[in-house]
Amino acid sequence: MNPSQPRKRACQSRLLNITFQLFSWVGAWLATCALMSFGPRFLWNSATAFTLLAVGLNFCAGVGLIVAHKRYLANLDELQRKVYLHALGITVGVVLIVSLPYAVLDRFDIVHLKAEVSDVLILMTVTFLASLLNGLRRYR
Amino acid sequence: MKNRLRVLRAERNWTQAELADALEVSRQTVNAIETGKFDPSLPLAFRAARLFGMRIEEICQDQDRTNRETKIKHDSHG
Repeated sequence: MNPSQPRKRACQSRLLNITFQLFSWVGAWLATCALMSFGPRFLWNSATAFTLLAVGLNFCAGVGLIVAHKRYLANLDELQRKVYLHALGITVGVVLIVSLPYAVLDRFDIVHLKAEVSDVLILMTVTFLASLLNGLRRYR
Repeated sequence: MKNRLRVLRAERNWTQAELADALEVSRQTVNAIETGKFDPSLPLAFRAARLFGMRIEEICQDQDRTNRETKIKHDSHG
């Protein structure tokens, strides 16, 4: 089995590198989100040009994040990819079945909690992590 | 689908990690295949067949077909 060792190291090193790139893009996207949200009020006194620049940066970081995510998925092995895609599918489903009825309830003033975009992001993160951990546990 | 991956690996005294390295998948994937929780894709089955120097049918068997054949054998004897 020794001949497989260099190949294994190359695969692991590539996956580590791609994972690092993915986390870097997540960090960049979060940083530009913060810049876009708080910059106009605290950094440049609502100057439109800077706000547009921050939005543009956020968009570029978002595109980079999508590409890095796609590359990450392509480098997972088939079981890891299955678990990951399963978790993503559950996340999309939960967000849809929670957010659409919530919007209806809100429109007819049945609920009075003001939902923000950040609430959807939290819901997505929690659902994704729970589904991912459940999938990993199932195939352990 | 049934497979003989665990038996073939044991015959060669390989660990799951070593087999996973040779197949370029994670150890978790090898374990899931061996325990029947996950069916390998055709490319992975081909890689396993090449590694063990066997045909795919010698490593993986269709569970339904095996059951049917067993039932036919049983019926013909009965």
